[in-house]
Amino acid sequence: MSEKYLKEYEAGYTPKLVMEEASRCLLCHDAPCSKACPAGTDPAKFIRSVRFKNFKGAAETVRINNILGAICARVCPTERYCQLGCSRSGIDKPIDIGRIQRYVTDYEDCLKMDILEKKASNGKKVAVVGSGPAGLSIAGLLALEGCSVVVFEKDAKAGGYMRYGMPEYRLPSSVVDKEIKRIQKLGVEIRTSTKVEDLKKLQKEYDAVVLAVGHSKGKMLPMFEGHRFVKTAVDFLHDCKKKKGNVKVPDNVLVIGGGDVAMDVVTTLKLLGVKQVTDVVYETFSEFKASKKELMGAQEQGVSIMDGFVPVSLKGKTVRFTHRFVPSEVKVKADLIILAVGQATEAGAFGLEVNKLQEVEKVEGNLFTCGDIYKGGEKTVVYAVRSAKEVAYKVKKYLGGK
Amino acid sequence: MVKKDLSITFLGVKFPNPFCLSSSPVGNDYDMCKKAYDCGWGGIVFKTIGPKSYVINEVSPRFDTLTKEAEPFVGFKNMEQIAEHSLEENLADLARLKKEYPDKVLIASIMGNSEETWEDLARKVTEAGADMIEMNLSCPQMTSHAMGSDVGTNAELCKRYCEAVKRGSKLPMMAKMTPNITDMVPVAKACLEGGADGIAAINTIKSICNIDLDKKIGMPIVNGKSAISGYSGKAVKPVALRFIQQMRTAIPNLEVSGIGGCETWEDAAEFILVGSKTIQVTTAIMQYGYRIVEDLCNGLMHYMEEQHVDHLEQLVGKANKNIIPAEELDRDYIVYPSIDKEKCVGCGRCYISCYDGAHQAMEWDEESRRPSCNHDKCVGCLLCGHVCPVGAISKGEVVFKKTAKPGRKVQDVRL
Repeated sequence: MSEKYLKEYEAGYTPKLVMEEASRCLLCHDAPCSKACPAGTDPAKFIRSVRFKNFKGAAETVRINNILGAICARVCPTERYCQLGCSRSGIDKPIDIGRIQRYVTDYEDCLKMDILEKKASNGKKVAVVGSGPAGLSIAGLLALEGCSVVVFEKDAKAGGYMRYGMPEYRLPSSVVDKEIKRIQKLGVEIRTSTKVEDLKKLQKEYDAVVLAVGHSKGKMLPMFEGHRFVKTAVDFLHDCKKKKGNVKVPDNVLVIGGGDVAMDVVTTLKLLGVKQVTDVVYETFSEFKASKKELMGAQEQGVSIMDGFVPVSLKGKTVRFTHRFVPSEVKVKADLIILAVGQATEAGAFGLEVNKLQEVEKVEGNLFTCGDIYKGGEKTVVYAVRSAKEVAYKVKKYLGGK
Repeated sequence: MVKKDLSITFLGVKFPNPFCLSSSPVGNDYDMCKKAYDCGWGGIVFKTIGPKSYVINEVSPRFDTLTKEAEPFVGFKNMEQIAEHSLEENLADLARLKKEYPDKVLIASIMGNSEETWEDLARKVTEAGADMIEMNLSCPQMTSHAMGSDVGTNAELCKRYCEAVKRGSKLPMMAKMTPNITDMVPVAKACLEGGADGIAAINTIKSICNIDLDKKIGMPIVNGKSAISGYSGKAVKPVALRFIQQMRTAIPNLEVSGIGGCETWEDAAEFILVGSKTIQVTTAIMQYGYRIVEDLCNGLMHYMEEQHVDHLEQLVGKANKNIIPAEELDRDYIVYPSIDKEKCVGCGRCYISCYDGAHQAMEWDEESRRPSCNHDKCVGCLLCGHVCPVGAISKGEVVFKKTAKPGRKVQDVRL
């Protein structure tokens, strides 16, 4: 039952195929792809390296610019970033940049390349709270600057949403493991199963503290609260990942939501063998939030998707929806209802004012925030890497580094 | 459905179409040649038959390729020598093929190592029923310096061997030239003086395709070593066309069988236009099989229709007079590029190439991501047009240089 879920969905390129794809690239003068990458991964440069058969150089470009290069290669919604402005679209379709990046990072992995080199110790101690994409990235980046970095993670394993959210078929745990190992190799210490209770104490013990706890809590809509047959997407995906797909799911599941997380949920359900997966989405297809790639993946799996509907009431296990624009209503009865309607931060638990956290990256004294908490930017791995780069620069300046 | 007569008479022999296997691994024995005839090849130059005393002992592996990006290979290196079968077997195959395919053309390629052996081989293949003889004076990977391209660069020796072959046979005969020479004309002339009726060109070019970077050995590696050998395929077409053109210019009405990188009907048409009457193919067959003859024939028919000709003969050599010495070209004008902004996808490749490889005339608008040409700097080289991936740049306005005589006109310019 979990076999399909555990297998990486998209095959990697062969050397021949990656050359074919790289040869399609027009090698633009002022490449829109590189301008569009939030993390500055510089796809134009690494694709050019591939085109000129310099795979090692390509791997260096990816890794130096994007400390989570192998993960971004797999999960980045490239159609919204680098591939959006691809000049090749003027001829046929954009270059499959994510897949080329995956080839390059797989190559790096196969050759066990050690690309990142850290500076000599600067004697500064930094604590990072949370080991999701933002936490790991900034930990790695500050370690490269010579800081001694400790990451605190409440879960049993590091990786945050990459570990416990993104489904195995899209992001294998082995890839997350390797990325984390690379960061640990830079000297970063990761303390798992360690919940930070007292932020103030941490701030006293370390020269700087970075709060990167992300948006780890799935949102619940009031009408669904308290029902055993209703789960949040975050909890469901977490469960699946932790149990390697060995979860019990009924044959008729309703999912509410239309973002990439919702697509992960519905596709996971189908891969787990659920017969009827119905996804009801607030947005109409023209406003759809999920990337086309993920939407197509879900459709390929045979998910029923209804767009433009809002849930209005719950009676027993039946949800009544009305359409946003058309006088129309629909009732869906399901044995399990999963809500993928957004996530929130649990930063409030530290006694901090969440609204304030969303506005600034440097909170007070030596406390910084990084990643999803900050309201600017999208909630993607690539934005977490971008945020980590920006905040790392600020932390470095604060610590008096050059 | 196009239907045109592709037949052509070359050295007095009528070919059902101009496409022949060249003397090589693709025409190694009866079965292969039978399949090639059945697929539609007009003629076959059977793999070169050598003297009985010369024993063939091949290496393994024996090929290498030159690739570019993800393209199928553009160049091919081959270390195989001449026919490995016994003389008797080869002669028997020739006889059987001629008997079963009387309307197809069968050409025996021979290679001796002395006047006696050349004469003897010529006699034997004639008795076997060949329609024509091709003298292989040009194989670059023979293990004997008395054979192959070392002979083909020695005009005097070529002439003597041609005379020997003519003593052994009255069949029409062409001498196959080596391109491993600065000027092919003296050798071709010597062969004609020695009795050759026509010329086949070109054989393969001496080459090293690739070197294994770890082992520091040329490719293919033959038990730790490698050797220089013949290079063929699409990449050599320009060299072949050049040699044929030069011979056709120096020797009026020379009959030529063109060889060297023909893959498509367009390549074939080019060989015809520089004066080839037949075209021989190997590398493309090794890569794609005998079936390519279908598109060679059909494509050529369509070309004939477009050109309003009923006989291939009408196209032979039509480009010869239009390829002239560089000093005679019109140097009075420049042509500016014309940029189709609708077609342009904004990659900026023209800008990069113009700056780094030409005259910094192409300007780039960062905002609109579109190029424009500064005529003050443009020299009209049109490199931009060659690098544009969407064909958005073509010839534009023609302007005469100040040194040009007044009233000058330009008729035809194309990049």
